[in-house]
Amino acid sequence: MTNDEANTLLHAYIDGELDPAKTLELEAHLADNPSLRAACGRLREMSEAVRLKADYHAAPAWLEERVRAALPAEPKNGPARPTWWGWLKPAVSVAAVADWLRPAASFAAVALVTWVVALGVLRPGEDERITQEVLASHVRSTLANRFYDVASSDQHTVKPWLSARLAFSPPVADLSASGFEMIGGRLDYIGAQPVAVLVYKRRQHMIDVFVWPAEGQKAEHTLTRDGFNIERITKNGMTFWIVSDLNRDELDDLARMLAERSAAP
Amino acid sequence: MTPDMMTLAAHSALLHDTDSAPPHETLSERKRRFEQLVLPHFDAAYNLARWLTRNDQDARDVVQEAVLRAYRFFGGLRGEAKPWLLAIVRNSCFTWLAANRPAETVGFEDGAIELLPSDEDGPEMQAARNFDRKMLNDAIAGLPAQFREVLILRELEDMSYKDIARIADVPIGTVMSRLARARRLLAESVRAASNISGTQVPK
Repeated sequence: MTNDEANTLLHAYIDGELDPAKTLELEAHLADNPSLRAACGRLREMSEAVRLKADYHAAPAWLEERVRAALPAEPKNGPARPTWWGWLKPAVSVAAVADWLRPAASFAAVALVTWVVALGVLRPGEDERITQEVLASHVRSTLANRFYDVASSDQHTVKPWLSARLAFSPPVADLSASGFEMIGGRLDYIGAQPVAVLVYKRRQHMIDVFVWPAEGQKAEHTLTRDGFNIERITKNGMTFWIVSDLNRDELDDLARMLAERSAAP
Repeated sequence: MTPDMMTLAAHSALLHDTDSAPPHETLSERKRRFEQLVLPHFDAAYNLARWLTRNDQDARDVVQEAVLRAYRFFGGLRGEAKPWLLAIVRNSCFTWLAANRPAETVGFEDGAIELLPSDEDGPEMQAARNFDRKMLNDAIAGLPAQFREVLILRELEDMSYKDIARIADVPIGTVMSRLARARRLLAESVRAASNISGTQVPK
């Protein structure tokens, strides 16, 4: 064994990855070569130093929660993709239902019943809870200076990014011509489901538009809370919650344009 | 579903080469199985992404996307979950780097390790145990990505050469030479930084 070979093998040796035959050979070499022994010692120290002193970057807890919440309980290419609004349409084919029920009839039936009950009995506190959640999300993103997961002014970038991560495809409108610049999109978890958030900017005001499939038609709803204007519209099967510190008139304009543009392309 | 059945499902995924999830598995079972097998390695995924992108925000984006992708490919999981997940995260990182910081992924030939004569860095070389923490972290961050990658996987994640080879998709021999090169570059880099900052080298 030459010195060069021995030096190369030292790494595998200190990592415990050298096979027994080579280990014996190297150890014999180490025994009568002090400078190789010194090199081996330095290598161990280096390895030790990295293990002890290099930063271990643990993930922030909220990130794991966010990812966990975004995991669809439904495979992307499953046999059928029932959606909240899909069940509202009168003509859901019996075959599609049967197909979807097949994998686990009892579980699906329970889920279906739960769904229907949830649709039928929307608690009066629902709007209030969602108001608090969208407002909290908006304020949090502003405080953390973390407005989006995908930064883009291009609707053709933002929409597929969101669609790939959600069980629905949110309408994404380019409103830059009207002075609402899109700066990106993010995911959030509102009303116990993953939702899309489109982020627009007007002058220095950040505007969050939360989008998810609607559970039926609801009246428009505007309110002011803690200095933020909040607006809800339902259009073409989608619910939009708009939150911003922008003035009410301009926010109304945005709401109107979103409603107009929300028709499926 | 009883807890026993869940344990069985988790075991069968580990022990058998199945192409896809058990056919009887419901969607919520699949999600639960993913949470049990894969999500415990979320920190490892983030640590690798953070070291490769060298930036919190980018690491968050890449990890989020990579884990969601892992979920889509969950049916293809064979063997241990940790190297499988890290391989997906690693590929996402390099794809991301190629798109956003192409300069960081090109140009470093693995080549032969230039070995200095073994006594050249003799007693005057700073003992690694005295390395300044910040200096060491900076030096690791300064390594070319493919060397940084094997070093992090080996020293911080304690992965075997075999698993590192699988994650980085290179032969084991390449893992060995990259690791040797990484340690060599690291030693030189810390030594250079110590000299510049005038740190007294402890004898």
